[in-house]
Amino acid sequence: MTLELPVDLLFGLNLDLNLDLTRVMTANAIVLPVVLPLLAAFLMQPLAQVSRFLARLLGPLVLTLGAWIILNTWLEVGPAPFSVAIGGFAAPLGIVFYADQLALLFALAVQVFTLLFWPGLGAGAKSEVAADRQRAPRRDALALLLASAATGLALSGDLFNIFVFYELAAVASFGLVCADGSGRAWIATLRYLFISAFGSVLALVGIAILYLQTGTLNLAQLAQVAPETLQGPIGLAAFALLLIGFGVKAELFPLNAWVPEVYATAPARVSALLAGLVSKLAILVIVRLLILVFQQPEASQLLLVLGVLGVLTGEFSAWRAQDFPRLLAFSSIGQLGLVAIAFSIDGTTGILAGTAVALHHLIVKSALFGLANRWSGGLDALTGAAKGAPRAAGLFVLFALSLIGVPPLWGFWIKLLIMVGLVQGGSPLDLLALGAILLATAVEAHYLFRVALRLYQPPVPDRALRLAPPARWDTGVAYLLGACLVVISVAITPTTEALRVLAQQTGDVLLYIDTVFPQPLAYKE
Amino acid sequence: MPMRDIASLVFSAGLLFLLLVIGAELALGHPDMRVGAEYLRVAGPELGAANIVTAILAGYRGFDTLGELSILFAAATAASLVLGHRRADARRDPPGGLVLSAGADLLFPLLLVVGIFIVVHGHLTPGGGFQGGVILAAAFFVALLANPARTLNHALLGWIEGLAGAAFILIGLWALVEDGHFLTPLLPLGTMGELVSAGTLPLLSVAIGLKVGAELAGLLAHLADTEAPDR
Repeated sequence: MTLELPVDLLFGLNLDLNLDLTRVMTANAIVLPVVLPLLAAFLMQPLAQVSRFLARLLGPLVLTLGAWIILNTWLEVGPAPFSVAIGGFAAPLGIVFYADQLALLFALAVQVFTLLFWPGLGAGAKSEVAADRQRAPRRDALALLLASAATGLALSGDLFNIFVFYELAAVASFGLVCADGSGRAWIATLRYLFISAFGSVLALVGIAILYLQTGTLNLAQLAQVAPETLQGPIGLAAFALLLIGFGVKAELFPLNAWVPEVYATAPARVSALLAGLVSKLAILVIVRLLILVFQQPEASQLLLVLGVLGVLTGEFSAWRAQDFPRLLAFSSIGQLGLVAIAFSIDGTTGILAGTAVALHHLIVKSALFGLANRWSGGLDALTGAAKGAPRAAGLFVLFALSLIGVPPLWGFWIKLLIMVGLVQGGSPLDLLALGAILLATAVEAHYLFRVALRLYQPPVPDRALRLAPPARWDTGVAYLLGACLVVISVAITPTTEALRVLAQQTGDVLLYIDTVFPQPLAYKE
Repeated sequence: MPMRDIASLVFSAGLLFLLLVIGAELALGHPDMRVGAEYLRVAGPELGAANIVTAILAGYRGFDTLGELSILFAAATAASLVLGHRRADARRDPPGGLVLSAGADLLFPLLLVVGIFIVVHGHLTPGGGFQGGVILAAAFFVALLANPARTLNHALLGWIEGLAGAAFILIGLWALVEDGHFLTPLLPLGTMGELVSAGTLPLLSVAIGLKVGAELAGLLAHLADTEAPDR
C-alpha cells in the first residue's frame, strides 16, 4: 500500500524527524553499554597476545565509556522513560529495551561498581605471579561479560531476552568464582552451578507457561493481556517457577545454599559484585514481573513469606558464623530477605522502600566485601586489627551501624520506611514480618558489634600470622562508598523525594505500556 | 536412607506433581499465536529469508542470539580457566590405528564441506551458524580423536573466534550508525531463495558459524589435551 502525502505535510514530517533525530540517536545509544563490553570480551584474548598492557586497560576503559554513555543519555533524554526497538523491529516482534529512571540507575551502578571492584585493579594486579598473568585476560573477559549481562538485565523489556542475560550472568560468574583455582572454590562453584542450572530450568518452564497462556514474551504486551489470561492458579504457578529461577541469584530463602561457600572461597571482589550487584538485578527482574504481569495479591504474599524466612535464617546463621566472609554472606542473605519484604509492600511505598534498601545494601555490602579482601580468616584472627588498619576498622563500624539501622544513618530511615509500610498494610502476615525484622535487627546488632569490639581489642602480641591491612585500592573504594553513605544520610529528604519520583514511575503500568507501544497496538493490515 | 535423600525425594515428587497438574491445566496443542502468526506473516517479505527460523533468530531476535553466543563464549572461557595446562612429559593416548586414522582423514573434507554448506545456507535451508559451526568443530575434532598426539593451534583458534564474534557486533554497530538501530538488517534483500539474498543475515550466519566452530574446536581440543590419569 502506498500513501500519497501532500508535499508540505511530508516537509513538516521531515522537520519533526530532524528535531527528534538527536534524541532518538542518543536514546538508541543505550544498547552500547551492553554491546561494547561483549565486543571487548571477544577481543580480549587476541589483544592480550599483541599487548598485555592494552588488554589490561581495555576493561576499565570500556566500563568508563559505558558509564559515560548512560549518564549522557540520562541527561539528554530527561526523566521520562523511553524504549528502544533493537534492530528497528517494533515491539512485540522485536526485542525492546525499556529505560526508566530505575533501569538507568541500575545500569549506571553496574558500570560503576564493576569498575570499582575490577579484579585487575590496584594491588590485585601487582601481586600477580606469572601463572596468574596467563589467566588475567580470561578473567577480565568474564568480568566484562558479567557487566554486560547485568546491564542487559536492568534495561531489557523482553522476558526471554532477560532470561538470556540471566544465563550469561550465571555462566560468567561460575568462571569468576573459581578463577583463583583453589579446590574449595571448585566444589563451591559446582554446587552453585547445580542449584543455578536447576533454577534456570524451572524459570524456563515458567516462561514457557507464560508463552503458552499469552502468546507473547514482551513485558509490555504481557502487562496488557495479563488481567485476562494470567489470573488464577496457572499464572500463580508460572510466577512461583520464575521466582524459584530468578531467586537463585537473588539469594531468596530456599535457594541460597550456594551463597556462604561461594562467597567464602571466591575472590573478595567477585563476592562484592555477586552479593552487591547481581543479586539486586535478579530482584529487579522479579519486581518488574510483580508490577507488570503478576498483580494478584498472592504473588506478593509469596515474596513476603520468602523474604521473612530469608531474614530470619540469614541473620541467625550470620550470628553463628565463624569467619568474616561467611558472616558477610549470611548477612547478605538476610538483607536480601529485607529487600524482598520491602518490595512486597503495596504501591509506591513498597517500590520506594525496596529500591532504597537495595541501593543501601549495594553500597554497604560491596564495600564490606572489599574490606574482607585481606580479612578472610576466622573471626579470631581479626582481634586487634584496628591497630594495623585504623581506617578500615573505622569504615567497618560506619557500615555496620548503617546495616543495623542506627538513627542518623541511611539504614535507619530505610528500616523505618519498611516498618511504616508494613504497619499500614496491617495484615497478620505484615505484622509477622514486622516482628521478624525487629528480631533480626537485634541479632544483627549483636554479631556486628561483636566483630567491631574484636577489631578494637588490644592485639595479641606474638601472633605469627598478623593480618595485613586491606589493600589501598579497596580501602579507597570503601572510603568513597562511605562518603556516599554519609552524604545520602545528610541529604535524606532530597534523596527520598528523588526515589519517590523514581518509584512512582516504576509502578506506573500504563506508562510502561504507552512507552513501549506509542500507538495503540494494531497489526499492519 | 539418610534424611537428606528422603527430603530430596519428597521435594522431587512434589515438583513433579506440580508440573503434571500445570500440564493438565494448560491448553497444550492450541497455543495462542499472538506473536507467532505475525512472524509467519511478515518475516518473509520483511527479511527476504526463505528459512523463517533464521529470520527470527538472526533478525527479529538477533540480540538474543548475540547473548547466546556470549554464553557459549563465557562457558568456553570459564572451562579453559579451570582446565589448566598439560605437563610436557605427561603420557598421551596412543594413535588410533590405521582404520580409525584413514576414516578420520576421509571424514575431514566431508564434514568441512557439509559444515560450510550449512553455515552459508543458513538463511535458505534448515540449520545455520550454530549447527554448521558444531559440524565444523567436529571435523577438526575427529582428526584429534584418531591421533591424540596432534594438536590444534590455540592462538589461531582464538583469533578466529575473537574476530568472528567482533564481526557480528560490528555488523550491528554498522547498522546503528547507518540506520539508527543496533542490528537492523542492511543491504538489499535480493530474490528470496538465492544464495546472495536476505541482506546481512548470511553474514551474521557466517560470523556465528566461525565463532561457534572455533570455540567448540578449541574447547574440545583443550579437554582432549588434559592429562590422562595414569593407570
